[in-house]
Amino acid sequence: MAKKDSDSEHDAPHGGHEDHGGDSTAAVTDDVRLPGAARVAQIAGGVGVVGVLATIGLGVSAGDDLRSFSFAYLTAYVYGLSIALGALVWVTLQHLFAARWSVVVRRVGELFAASTPVMALLALPILVPVLMGNHQLYEWVDHAAVEKDHILHHKHAYLNETFFAVRLVVYFVFWAWLGRYWLTKSVEQDRTKAKGLHAKLYGVSAPSMIALALTLSFAAIDLIMSLDARWFSTIFGVYYFSGAVVAWHSLFALVLFWLQGQGKLVKSVSVHHFHDIGKMMFAFTVFWAYIAFSQYMLIWYANVPEETVWYQERTNGPWQNVAWFLVVGHFVVPFLFLLSRHVKRNRAGLKLGAVWLLFVHWVDMFWLVKPSLGRHGELHGLPIGVMDVTAVVGVLGMLLAAAAWNARDKNLIPLEDERLAKSLAFTNS
Amino acid sequence: MAAVAQPGATTVVQQSAGGNPWAGPPEGENVFGMITQNVSRLTEAKPPRAWYVAFAIALALLTMFGLSLAYLFYTGIGVWGNMVPVAWCFDIVNFVFWVGIGHAGTLISAILYLLRQDWRTAINRAAEAMTIFAVVCAAIFPGIHIGRPWLPYWMFPIPNQMGMWPQFRSPLEWDVFAVGTYATVSLLFWYMGMIPDFATFRDRSTTKIRRIAYGIVAMGWRGSSRQWHRYERAYLLLAALATPLVLSVHSVVSFDFATSQLPGWHTTIFPPYFVAGAIFGGFAMVVTLLVPARQFFGLKYIITLRHIELMTKVILGTGMLVGYAYGMEFFIAWYSGSLYEGFTFINRLFGPYAWAYWTMIFCNVVAPQIFWSRKMRRNVWVAFAVGVIVNVGMWFERFVIIGTSLARDFLPSSWGYYVPTPTDYTTLGGSFGLFFTLFLLFCRYLPTVAMAEVKAIMPEAHVQHGHGGAH
Repeated sequence: MAKKDSDSEHDAPHGGHEDHGGDSTAAVTDDVRLPGAARVAQIAGGVGVVGVLATIGLGVSAGDDLRSFSFAYLTAYVYGLSIALGALVWVTLQHLFAARWSVVVRRVGELFAASTPVMALLALPILVPVLMGNHQLYEWVDHAAVEKDHILHHKHAYLNETFFAVRLVVYFVFWAWLGRYWLTKSVEQDRTKAKGLHAKLYGVSAPSMIALALTLSFAAIDLIMSLDARWFSTIFGVYYFSGAVVAWHSLFALVLFWLQGQGKLVKSVSVHHFHDIGKMMFAFTVFWAYIAFSQYMLIWYANVPEETVWYQERTNGPWQNVAWFLVVGHFVVPFLFLLSRHVKRNRAGLKLGAVWLLFVHWVDMFWLVKPSLGRHGELHGLPIGVMDVTAVVGVLGMLLAAAAWNARDKNLIPLEDERLAKSLAFTNS
Repeated sequence: MAAVAQPGATTVVQQSAGGNPWAGPPEGENVFGMITQNVSRLTEAKPPRAWYVAFAIALALLTMFGLSLAYLFYTGIGVWGNMVPVAWCFDIVNFVFWVGIGHAGTLISAILYLLRQDWRTAINRAAEAMTIFAVVCAAIFPGIHIGRPWLPYWMFPIPNQMGMWPQFRSPLEWDVFAVGTYATVSLLFWYMGMIPDFATFRDRSTTKIRRIAYGIVAMGWRGSSRQWHRYERAYLLLAALATPLVLSVHSVVSFDFATSQLPGWHTTIFPPYFVAGAIFGGFAMVVTLLVPARQFFGLKYIITLRHIELMTKVILGTGMLVGYAYGMEFFIAWYSGSLYEGFTFINRLFGPYAWAYWTMIFCNVVAPQIFWSRKMRRNVWVAFAVGVIVNVGMWFERFVIIGTSLARDFLPSSWGYYVPTPTDYTTLGGSFGLFFTLFLLFCRYLPTVAMAEVKAIMPEAHVQHGHGGAH
């Protein structure tokens, strides 16, 4: 039957308020400080800066007007952004659903959710060339092409450099504010021990989720879908969202394992919490497959040339293998692997699953972005090189550095959250 | 969380409440006994007048349904307003509408179960029943739509001497399998969940007929710990198997449209958009049914304001998802630069069916916004009214998608304007008669609330009850 844990809502005459399943002053006996966080931030940030600079250096020296650089960098960028946005969505949903199981791990999510400013900084190598009229990445920046092409001309009102920049600014202002808000309010409660904060955050979470859904979708359209400016798909934002959620939970599990390796949160975060994170990885792997299948099948079946062209590029030549790899690697394998309860509750098993999903999510981003490199037919072989590696190292390094920097003076658990006792006592039977 | 009146509260007043033998606080020595009594009395006592009135109306509508179908079979589908180019209309609109209604039941019993949402126990039985009845209503429409009511078995891949098979590449055929699987699993889920409650009815029965009837359907349930163990394992497995079905059925229904090339039908967001809409409409129907049921049939001790509030939140949330899909469709219709896509959506806004479109927008996007207010969420009659409005809106959504897209497609020379006939209306109205008749019979003869499950989430059912500590 359902979890044998009493609920605690207003109408239940039995028990009334949170008096079942533990009293509200939780006994966290763990080490919840991470004094080494600043050091971690420095190392990760150093590696990240080197990665980004190396990518830029390699890109400039390639002498192709930043073409190979832009595509490699964008792949890594949308990869990193998906993780940061996954975290932001996750934290917002925990408040919206008044989740209790996750309180003990929510701070770690908040640290990542508050790291979107660094993604804004990292957007500059994409945005600056666009504003300078470099059209290697986005065809719609090329005014001559736009003038000649009826469809691009039609879209010019939306797809133009200025509006693109304005939109990115709007997205990032909102994301940065929201991530910062969740973290600050939660940390503030650690200090003030204020009661009833969750009701307030719940109120903010609902409209925030609407704005988040819209900004995330349009960011996916702007950054990825507009690479092939003639192509369109209404489900595209949902596709990016589904991958983002998978990637975030995977990284989340790995970060928690790492923290436990450092002797933090050892007693508070139990196998039950990991099991739930594993369930989310599994569920959203299936959801990703559902969305990917819906998009592919409907376009394949209707067979309208202006839509099939996108899959034409992505399922022929070297991309055919990548596409099949995604079917097997992003769905079949993780589905069968994570289906097992044993795997989700096993540290090595869940770690392996998380690393694998983070890898295949990168392949997915690679498969979304890179085929557009060959839109003029100049592509031979799979366009993968050193820059792809340095770009991912750079973006992920910066992202981890931002999260670690956020952690340096904070508790790793929201100690004063009224639902903490429930979360500590949570069992996943 | 189910909330039965405080133990120790007055338990004498019952039978008397306004002459309604079903209303009044339940009696019993303890909270478990009160739950049993509250639910069982619906099948044991004579129903209140409200039930007979409702049943009479439902039967009248059902009769109208029967007559409409008889007239249809006697005359042919020319009695409908279907024409060229609108060759699908009320028949398919009604089918999609009813299948959509059927989604809340499985969502509540499977997905909310996996998400550990205990509150679902108060409403899952009724929602599952509603699912079954909605699927029954839905199944009738493809059957009559084919125009040859003696041949619907052709939809199934039955080996035959003619060597004739259905078109497996058609989404319409996938629908047969998707809805068939869904109906089967939902029925199993519903029935299996009722077994312990049937045993309760059997054990409480005072007449031989009841003892035998409930005894047969209880399948020898004795409530041993081994039986409970098996039952809970089976429940978990069925929930896991039913979860993909919640997504698959309406996704496949959306394929009926989205695999085509028709502007307004062919768009990639259709599968998740249809699923969100189905859950939205399904929950609205649950609220529409349960608000009167709890009021007139004395279930408000189990289905509390909190349940109503949570359901209205689901309606608000899924309504937002539907709104997202409407918006994204519009944006992409412009963004695509396709003349036909763009026209279809302008036509929806300002064309001859604009009234249907704006009805849909009002009902599905505007009306649920009232649930941002906690006060409104906890007002049962507001919840009921919005539930009805959303159901209207979801019917119109299917009408807008199917009717308006067909009425004006690529060639202006082949445009048309569909007008439903009286038979279309009586068939639609009549299908509600079938639905309500089945639901009212369910209220009268079957366990309306999953008693065993509600008891399992009561604080008293827990080991740590009274010890106050975490384990």
